[in-house]
Amino acid sequence: MSKLTKEEVLHVSHLARIGVTEEEIENYQITLKQLLDDVDKIKDIPINHGELLVTPVEHGAILRNDSDSEMIAFEEVKKNIPATVGNFVEVPVMVNE
Amino acid sequence: MNKYLNLSIQEIHELLLEKKITPLDLVKEAYQRIEEKEKLNSFITLNQSEAISYAKQLGEEEVEKENLLWGIPIAIKDNISTKGIRTTCASKMLENYVPIYDATVIEKIKEKKMIIIGKTNMDEFAMGSTSRTSYFGAPKNPMNEAKITGGSSGGSAACVSGGLVPLALGSDTGGSIRQPASYTGIVGMKPTYGRVSRYGLIAFASSLDQIGPMTRTVYENALLLNCLVGKDSKDLTSRDSSIEDFTRLIGKEIKGMKVAIPNYFVSEIVSSEIIEKLHQVVDILRQNEVEVDYIDMQYLDQAVTLYQIIAMGEASSNLARFDGVKFGYRSPKADSVEEMYLNSRSEGFGREVKRRIMVGSYLLSGENAKIYYDKALMIRNAMKQEFDKVFEKYDFVLGPVTTTTAYGLEENLDDSRKSFMDDVLVIPVNMAGLPGLSIPMGKGKDDMPIGLHIIGNKLEEAKMYQLASFLENKIK
Repeated sequence: MSKLTKEEVLHVSHLARIGVTEEEIENYQITLKQLLDDVDKIKDIPINHGELLVTPVEHGAILRNDSDSEMIAFEEVKKNIPATVGNFVEVPVMVNE
Repeated sequence: MNKYLNLSIQEIHELLLEKKITPLDLVKEAYQRIEEKEKLNSFITLNQSEAISYAKQLGEEEVEKENLLWGIPIAIKDNISTKGIRTTCASKMLENYVPIYDATVIEKIKEKKMIIIGKTNMDEFAMGSTSRTSYFGAPKNPMNEAKITGGSSGGSAACVSGGLVPLALGSDTGGSIRQPASYTGIVGMKPTYGRVSRYGLIAFASSLDQIGPMTRTVYENALLLNCLVGKDSKDLTSRDSSIEDFTRLIGKEIKGMKVAIPNYFVSEIVSSEIIEKLHQVVDILRQNEVEVDYIDMQYLDQAVTLYQIIAMGEASSNLARFDGVKFGYRSPKADSVEEMYLNSRSEGFGREVKRRIMVGSYLLSGENAKIYYDKALMIRNAMKQEFDKVFEKYDFVLGPVTTTTAYGLEENLDDSRKSFMDDVLVIPVNMAGLPGLSIPMGKGKDDMPIGLHIIGNKLEEAKMYQLASFLENKIK
């Protein structure tokens, strides 16, 4: 059975910002390869030019009026934030020492 | 136990008007049924105390004579934001997430004074066709509890099919309303893209996602759709189509209608018993002077490949927001921001979701975006044009919803492709932004339901309900 290399799995997991364990790598080597083989079939379809249909919406973007609307209080927003300090979101260190 | 919830919405409404029952009777009965059928695992979160207190409040008010949905219990798929009610998307990532605003469809349901009973089980982030990727365990099919409900709106399908509530909302990105409706023997509509606001629907693949009604009958489906549609300034893809009564053509003559059946929909990928049922429907239609032709349509066999590329690509972008910063799960094992991203996403998402995000990220990276994504969008356009051509001559495209009936809960667990192939017949509708409706058309040898798929031209839901209601009466 053809598989992705370990490096390929690590590359893809880095793109997706999803950490992987050694055990998971083995599984992904097979299952990701299956999915990538499937999507590769698109190369065989004999269409190589034409319009792209990004969305079925036929009208262009209709923007909202540029006016005041309801505001959500920060106290409400805060309820779902995993860690806060005062009115700030707390995260681990962002810069290298 | 009372059995008011076995009655039609019109019958319930009459009883409410005559003050023979109150909304509280309906709500109590719904929770009693949910408790009795707890094994179905169709709900993730119940809204019991709020629903009971709202039902009591409604009981003090006058019944709205013209509003058939007044006081009716409804279940909501757990990827639709409900203010103050936990909304998990069946994921550990959102296990404790409580929205601080309502989705537009929820505001509309509240305006109609319907009563939200709870949030239904589903595939994690709607990614799957069996509801088995749920962090909270799979729901079971009320027709046979050893079978899958289908997915991703499996909990909504199960609670309607099992008689726990008469109405539910689902969402459909690649068949997620129609396929479970088919597997559980109920009616499910994916409306035209843009008919229903997606504001507050937690996004999976934004150019494909659409919210829709799941109900026991065609009439009740149309009735519920009436209250969901309309332009919304909070969803720039919502359509400026006028509000209409989707029940208005039900009961009208179908003579002279024209129906096309693509040969691919009756090819060897579909089980013979399902094709046989479809042929019985064709006989009924022809007997009633409906013209039915079998036609060739290009690109239908490419639908799964297109879906894999477009849906996984869009999903990888939409789910980038789950980084552990502002809401959702945050891993406690992180000494840096980068580690927080990696660990929160690794621990918070389930296997199927991670797989799809990874493939999607790969497909959109660098040159791949041109090779895969752009080409998929080109073929998507060609597929839509195929449908446009067919609708110049025909009123509907018909076919089966699924290639088999619902399979066992333990079957095909390790097959990463199976969940895509389950939706092979329903995905083209999402690609072209068309409306698709699933109605029961009988049962297979295993006594499991088989669904008929009615595809209409854009914005022609009312006409689809006309045909569906006619067939619903004939097939009974």
